[in-house]
Amino acid sequence: MDSIIENFFNLEIYRQVLPYLLNGLWMTIWLSVIVIPLGAVAGLLLALGQTQSGSRWVRWTVIAFVDFFRAFPPLVLLIFLYFGLPFLGGDVPKLAAVVVAFVLNNASYFCEVFRAGIQAVHKGQMEAARSTGLNRMQALRYVILPQAVRNVMPDLLGNCIEVVKLTTIASVVGMPELLRAARDTQSLVYNPSPIVLAALLYLVMLWPLTRVLASLEKRRTGMAGH
Amino acid sequence: MSAPILELVGLKKSYGSQEVLRGVELRVRPAELVCVIGPSGSGKSTMLRCCNRLEEPSAGQVVLDGQDITRPDTDINRVRQSVGMVFQHFNLYPHLSALENVTLALRRVQKKDRAQAEAIARDALTQVGLGHKADAFPAQLSGGQQQRVGIARAIALKPKVMLFDEPTSALDPELVDEVLRVMRALREGGMTMLVVTHEMAFAHAVADRVVFMDGGVVAEQGTPAEVFENPREARTRSFIGRYMDAKSASPA
Amino acid sequence: MNEANSGFLFTFFNPAVAAQYWQEIARGMVVTVGVGAATVVTGVAAGLVLALARATGRASLRLPIVLFSDITRSLPPLVIIILLYFGLPALGMPLSSFASTWLSLSLVLAAYAQESIWAGLSSLPKGQMEAARSTGLGWWQAMRWVLLPQALRRAVPPLTNRVIATTKNTALGSVVALSEILSTAQASAAVAGNPTPLTVGAFLYLLVFLPLVFVARTLEHRSFNGN
Repeated sequence: MDSIIENFFNLEIYRQVLPYLLNGLWMTIWLSVIVIPLGAVAGLLLALGQTQSGSRWVRWTVIAFVDFFRAFPPLVLLIFLYFGLPFLGGDVPKLAAVVVAFVLNNASYFCEVFRAGIQAVHKGQMEAARSTGLNRMQALRYVILPQAVRNVMPDLLGNCIEVVKLTTIASVVGMPELLRAARDTQSLVYNPSPIVLAALLYLVMLWPLTRVLASLEKRRTGMAGH
Repeated sequence: MSAPILELVGLKKSYGSQEVLRGVELRVRPAELVCVIGPSGSGKSTMLRCCNRLEEPSAGQVVLDGQDITRPDTDINRVRQSVGMVFQHFNLYPHLSALENVTLALRRVQKKDRAQAEAIARDALTQVGLGHKADAFPAQLSGGQQQRVGIARAIALKPKVMLFDEPTSALDPELVDEVLRVMRALREGGMTMLVVTHEMAFAHAVADRVVFMDGGVVAEQGTPAEVFENPREARTRSFIGRYMDAKSASPA
Repeated sequence: MNEANSGFLFTFFNPAVAAQYWQEIARGMVVTVGVGAATVVTGVAAGLVLALARATGRASLRLPIVLFSDITRSLPPLVIIILLYFGLPALGMPLSSFASTWLSLSLVLAAYAQESIWAGLSSLPKGQMEAARSTGLGWWQAMRWVLLPQALRRAVPPLTNRVIATTKNTALGSVVALSEILSTAQASAAVAGNPTPLTVGAFLYLLVFLPLVFVARTLEHRSFNGN
């Protein structure tokens, strides 16, 4: 028991490393705040392309894009962009490689979520909207998309949580986010406590969101009763 | 004989190899209430939905107030402001209140400002007897009330013609009357109405003209008296047979 | 323009380098598939057991399961892997990179599988269990023959997506020196001074995971249309 506290919950070490970890936490939040809107917007555009386009080519291109990035592990994608591209000459700023890799990966998940939401909206809604003279764009904006988003709110939140978890991958290319800070300090103090502290910080950030997610899901399945 | 406000000329519609409309000819005069009856699969709804091009005809024309709206260069969104549609399943926007359902097109299509749009919307809702429910959401309204909001949504745009696609088929029997009453009131106000319906009694009592469709064409048409009491075609007779038998069996 | 094009191809698709290193990377693929398959089996099985335990309604089971599920799903998988790999030795229980990766990912998958299966069970009308019990079936029999088949069918779409996400995370094992595709590809690329091994690795990943993604899409399509 003592050794557990000594090695995992060492308060003295916690006090020492907390400032470093908080810096890392800040970077984690920063990364998430950049990637989520970009991924969501890209995903929405892709979903619109897939569901609204009359052209088979557009639809299949979107599906191919989405399936490709769903099959590609994000860590591999990041390594590819970060280490591979410099071989072509020129510097790849770390942040750019990270953001691009994350957005490419995340946009495909957002696309799937939005697509499901849009397809769940009853066909009659578009007809009713068009029958009053609204054009396609207006019908999407005022009638279809509000309902689509409401349909998949839990999944959207779930995806945002995934992005925060995804940021740990950036630690592999030395991005100073929370996990990187934990590992760096761990090797300095020869004690796994910093990693446990980092885990606790992730829990503080994400556990409440997971609870909110659970209650949103419960509300949704409640509505699906009819 | 006033010029027709809505005219269907040689209207055809096929889905792949399946021919649903085989050359429909129909003329609707201003302020006329035309009821379209017929067996399922006769193409009634498809024909109706061609009138505002929610279905695209495979051949033929739809002429609205002298304008051929099946031409590719038609501004269909503009045309749809002149053709109101009421759906079998209401299709109210669940995330908007009754008032907002009605004002949406007024504000975004007709570009009215908020105050103007709301005034018109409240007026339309009052006309269908739901002025006091303006802030209710569809989920809080009964089926009959939802359909009346659907009617208000369409009439708020001041259309020239109203299309009704089986407006009462999805309603519980006790809620049908309130919708039919609104439709009668509209007719008295001089609205031109094309109604696809199963409500034979309504067609018999209120329509100016009854059109019987079968197999993708207009099989017979005439005044309600002509079609219901003196049908010429055998198939018309067999279709309305059951209604007329029930009618004569029960007190009128 | 031609120069830059051939430069790109020569850099990322160099046949000579590929030929030299592909076998090594293919060996990594065996590890990827191995860890992935093991994770799926243990993760889903554990999730099923947890969901059933939760279904008994006993608070003594429900609370720890919910706690486990919440915590595991609120932590990034890489943190769990690193915690196990670097933390357990301090308790005198060192785990190999294979074991750490497999155990971490199994725990994560078990948590998500439990949630999906539990959601499937909860979404069934109460009358199902009542009807089954009223014909004399025991609790477990009712689960086995009536409730679980239905619940599992509903759980399939979210579950397949989660299985794909978790098995892709086997690449995270490279961080704790697991010799799967990514680490062997990286090592080869470093030795060769050329990123072609990374391309080979990427290709092998797609080889493993694209079929899974297609299966997931088909299953999702079928359940969407079936319902």
